[in-house]
Amino acid sequence: MPSSAFALGVARVVVHSTFLVSVLIASFSAVGHLPVTILRPAGVMKLLPWSFYDRLVTPSGMTILKVVMVVSLLLSTTGLFTVVSTKSSFLLVLFYQGLLRSFGHFNHDEMLGVYCLVVLAFTPCGDEFSLDQWWNKKRVARPAFAYAYPILLMQLLMAWVYFSSCLIKLRAGWHGYLSPDNLPSLAIYHSLDNLHDTAFRLAFWLPQFKAYLPVLVALVLLWEFFFPLAVFFTRLRWWILGGGVVFHLSTLFFMNIFFPHQLALYLLFVNWDRFRKSD
Amino acid sequence: MNWLKIKYAVLTVAIFLPLIWAFVYVRNAYPVAAWNVMMAPGLLEHGRTYWVLRGETVSGATLDIPAISLTNALYARTWTMVNATVDNQAFKITNPHPANAELLRQAGGLEQLPLGARLPDLLRAWGNLYNERLAPTSPQRLKAIRLDMYRWEGGSYAGYDNFIQTWRQEL
Repeated sequence: MPSSAFALGVARVVVHSTFLVSVLIASFSAVGHLPVTILRPAGVMKLLPWSFYDRLVTPSGMTILKVVMVVSLLLSTTGLFTVVSTKSSFLLVLFYQGLLRSFGHFNHDEMLGVYCLVVLAFTPCGDEFSLDQWWNKKRVARPAFAYAYPILLMQLLMAWVYFSSCLIKLRAGWHGYLSPDNLPSLAIYHSLDNLHDTAFRLAFWLPQFKAYLPVLVALVLLWEFFFPLAVFFTRLRWWILGGGVVFHLSTLFFMNIFFPHQLALYLLFVNWDRFRKSD
Repeated sequence: MNWLKIKYAVLTVAIFLPLIWAFVYVRNAYPVAAWNVMMAPGLLEHGRTYWVLRGETVSGATLDIPAISLTNALYARTWTMVNATVDNQAFKITNPHPANAELLRQAGGLEQLPLGARLPDLLRAWGNLYNERLAPTSPQRLKAIRLDMYRWEGGSYAGYDNFIQTWRQEL
């Protein structure tokens, strides 16, 4: 288990740079062209008045939001003014993700990253591997627990994502989930329109193999159920994470559904201390 | 050390307590998430409705327009945005936008509102975004943009594209 200030600093870079890249490539001004009247504020987003959304959801309002987010995420990724910038990045990403979900639906790809931002905002993730450290030179003396626990907490959050997803499916009715038509009909539905982000058509191959698909779906459920083992058993970890890469790529090619933010956070399972010791 | 342990315990509880609540009640209340992705199994018997976004160019061609190419920030949420807009869901929330509340009043209630009451605004926005990227004289510019609604009736792996209706917006 990584337990150094360096490892937590790398975790900060992984999480914050994931959102930085995602914000950089997104056209905020295009969102500003959308009619605010189709917005359905989700959860805490309901606390903000309509007059605020009227001003924000404009090309200039969204461009200003993007500039502020890029500056904050650049500071938090590089570890400058980390105590403040990790908190501002967390709040800005939380707001932005809530805004996007108010247009569409509460999807889950970025949510694990949002929870990791909370963890990093309240832990000493700028003590090393940061511009703050380079600037100040002096080392802060903290116990290893101060750095090891936040990393463990982020890994546990990822384990919760998969484990709870499995349990919810089982609660909803595992027999329906293991029916031969479950996967082909869902996959085909997500491949019919041109409103998904990709337009792969592999789903249309699935019906001819549908007798075998319940086994595949059962394996995915088992993989989700046993994902928490990746946190505690290093030998199993890379098999479980490898299964995750295969799973997420499969949902991309067969269902046009992808979780790139969640995949990027698999890097939180790397023992970065090992790389540092080999220097 | 004790202070640190207390701080981390509070952080852990503050994150996991809402997540456990969401899991128990299978409720998503942003930012509290229940991972209920694909919770409902796909049933072949159930019909499904879907949409295709298309543009009509000034040169007379009809193009499929992937929505992600217009509003990429929405990533993975575009299809549900269209579902919700067609279903007038922005009018069904407890505190609708003042312009929606006024439109509801003028229409005489939700039942009187046509399907996709705000769809022309969305299509106009998408059409303008598409045209903004082209030269004013380009033959690829759109004169109209439309959303074609189809239905897969289910029951078999065939007949995916039964046309239902179109919303068309002149630009």
